[in-house]
Amino acid sequence: MQLTQSMTMMEKLHILSDAAKYDVACTSSGVDRSGNGRSMGNCVAPGVCHTFSADGRCISLLKILFTNECVFNCSYCLNNCSRDVKRASFTPEEICTLTMEFYRRNYIEGLFLSSGILVSPNYTMELIYRTLHQLRHVHQFHGYIHVKAIPGADPVLLEKTGFLADRMSINLELPTNDSLRSLAPCKSRSTILKPMRQIQNGIAASSRQQLELHHWLMGQETGLSPHRADSRIGSWQSRPRFVPAGQSTQMIIGATPESDYQIMSVAEGLYQNFDLKRVFYSAFMNVTGSSDLPALPGGPPLLREHRLYQADWLLRYYHFQVSELLSEERPDFNIFLDPKCDWALRHLERFPVEINRADYKTLLRVPGIGYKSAERIVKARRGGRLDFADLKKIGVVLKRALYFITCSGRQMYPTRLEEDYICRNLMADKTQIPREIRESGYQQLNLFDLGMVAPSEPVAARMITGIPFDIPERA
Amino acid sequence: MQNLTHILICENSIDGILSGIYRAYESRYGHSHIQLTTADRLGTYELFCEYEEVSVDFQKAGKVSRTLQKEFGQEGFRTLCEAMSAWESPRDQTREMSKANAVYKTVALGLARKEGARVLNYLSEPYVNRVFQLSRSTYYESHHLLGFLRFAELENGLLFAQIHPKNYVLPLLADHFCDRLPQENFIIYDDSHKTAAFHKAGSSYLLADIPEADQAFMERYSAKEKEYRALWLEFFHSIAIDARKNPSLQSSNIPKRFWKDTVELKP
Repeated sequence: MQLTQSMTMMEKLHILSDAAKYDVACTSSGVDRSGNGRSMGNCVAPGVCHTFSADGRCISLLKILFTNECVFNCSYCLNNCSRDVKRASFTPEEICTLTMEFYRRNYIEGLFLSSGILVSPNYTMELIYRTLHQLRHVHQFHGYIHVKAIPGADPVLLEKTGFLADRMSINLELPTNDSLRSLAPCKSRSTILKPMRQIQNGIAASSRQQLELHHWLMGQETGLSPHRADSRIGSWQSRPRFVPAGQSTQMIIGATPESDYQIMSVAEGLYQNFDLKRVFYSAFMNVTGSSDLPALPGGPPLLREHRLYQADWLLRYYHFQVSELLSEERPDFNIFLDPKCDWALRHLERFPVEINRADYKTLLRVPGIGYKSAERIVKARRGGRLDFADLKKIGVVLKRALYFITCSGRQMYPTRLEEDYICRNLMADKTQIPREIRESGYQQLNLFDLGMVAPSEPVAARMITGIPFDIPERA
Repeated sequence: MQNLTHILICENSIDGILSGIYRAYESRYGHSHIQLTTADRLGTYELFCEYEEVSVDFQKAGKVSRTLQKEFGQEGFRTLCEAMSAWESPRDQTREMSKANAVYKTVALGLARKEGARVLNYLSEPYVNRVFQLSRSTYYESHHLLGFLRFAELENGLLFAQIHPKNYVLPLLADHFCDRLPQENFIIYDDSHKTAAFHKAGSSYLLADIPEADQAFMERYSAKEKEYRALWLEFFHSIAIDARKNPSLQSSNIPKRFWKDTVELKP
């Protein structure tokens, strides 16, 4: 602690943001809260990206650790207690000042606060709680806060913190209990899942109350429109809500031997049973040089991470189930094709789909048609028949979709509905494998052999991953 | 005289275009005989066209705006306003698919079919599609700038931001920041459109034309300002993961044209 006292703010910020950077969850989405006219801050449901760092990832929140001191010894973690790294801690006041000053300059959308375990989980959680309390009640901060729940902390502390935060997350870290036991001996499935369940129940209870209040307000003939009534109840000081933007988690990919099938099944379980808003996937990087961990000479498994994110979107927005995408027999994603194209090729009996007739859910399954395009198609065709030129303007990626669709019974040009033929053509599509990944000599390209023909020409494309970031469309 | 096209030339602003729409209805030439444009200098005059300048009339624009809000709803009206705020090239301004004409014809379609905002979904209609593309461009840029805009604290405690947007997004940004920073005095200066939004703590904002901005004024930073800029730069650099370095992903997510007005990516 002596050391910490003499450190400048600059040094602390360097150490404690550097130590936080492997946490991927940096969105500021999930809650709409207008300003109250007095204090600083509001929230926009789709989230706002304030800039993008050199790795292309979105910076939305001031992402820092409270401290990188830690009594745990997770072998994948930069801050584990056995490592000799420079340690630092903020004070609650320092974090508040930094957040307020960054926020009013519009550098950030809010605060993302995580921490190493100082002394004990309860001690750390208490510090985090005090920081948030000070930020909300002394500095009257009305913007976005994402906070990590510390595994093993007292449920009462967790609950108090949840009423100050917008989003809470607990990292699952590794997909299976066995992996957790081998790499993070101080954590266990139950110290992670118990608080996750608690947060889920807290959110459910809070939104039930919210709904009752809403009905009551509407019944009172207050003269408020539903929107105004909502924003009034949503107002922060008047009635704090518990984790209104929901909870998220993250898993490290590639440190342990789980298959894509296992990972996606865990994610699906979390969405269905824990009502998570997001599951994030973080390509493993061996930052500690520990011998328990794979060396990964080809760099972090970015393509695998990319495919997992694509599949994750299929679960959340496209009504897919993991069992449709993967199985015990096919436990990993096809590296040459995105999961949706891969699925479509194995289900050619469902195609072609007629654009002017097919329902929304059927359209969602067509490669090259995103959920926004599908929605636009359904609305636009009420005004008249759509042809291929219209689809292009709507935003459909025709070079992927054209094999699978007809407009008024006609194909864009004559193609064959054959797996090999379409597969060859799709693999020539330059966006299937992001360029950066190919050019980095990504090793798994050679390791996987799924009986696919490699593309004949070098695939060059823009990398479209990172944190999948989509500019929100209005409802 | 049957085939004569009346070209109504309006000011390039929401009120200008709404005044044009008022005139189009009032004239009774018939929609198929009218085109709107916001081109202030028409390069070539076409045969069988009659040109008429429409000056801005706030009362008439207000009437049209009320009708549109009623018929298209708030959402629909906002889409139309975003389209009218969009930038278009001088070449596009004179075409049939010009911004003003696309909005006018879309409005005419919506009012004639009595379907209101639903018409805005009919993307196979060329005019509607153009309105969709234009409004999307404005909306995306305004959404980008909600994040990319940077305030600097000046000596007197005032927050100052300069932006160079393509579309006229200043009112959208001002709304957002008034709600977010109600107790701050701030100015957002749109150097592309030479307009500024002024916000005084505790009140609403005002828009004013500023033909020439004082560069020295913008850089008279407060004592603390440099310190926070340095801290922000430190954070920006240390949060990036070297093993994932990806400049092309970075510049596709934050296009280069925004860089000069940021702190962290300013060349």
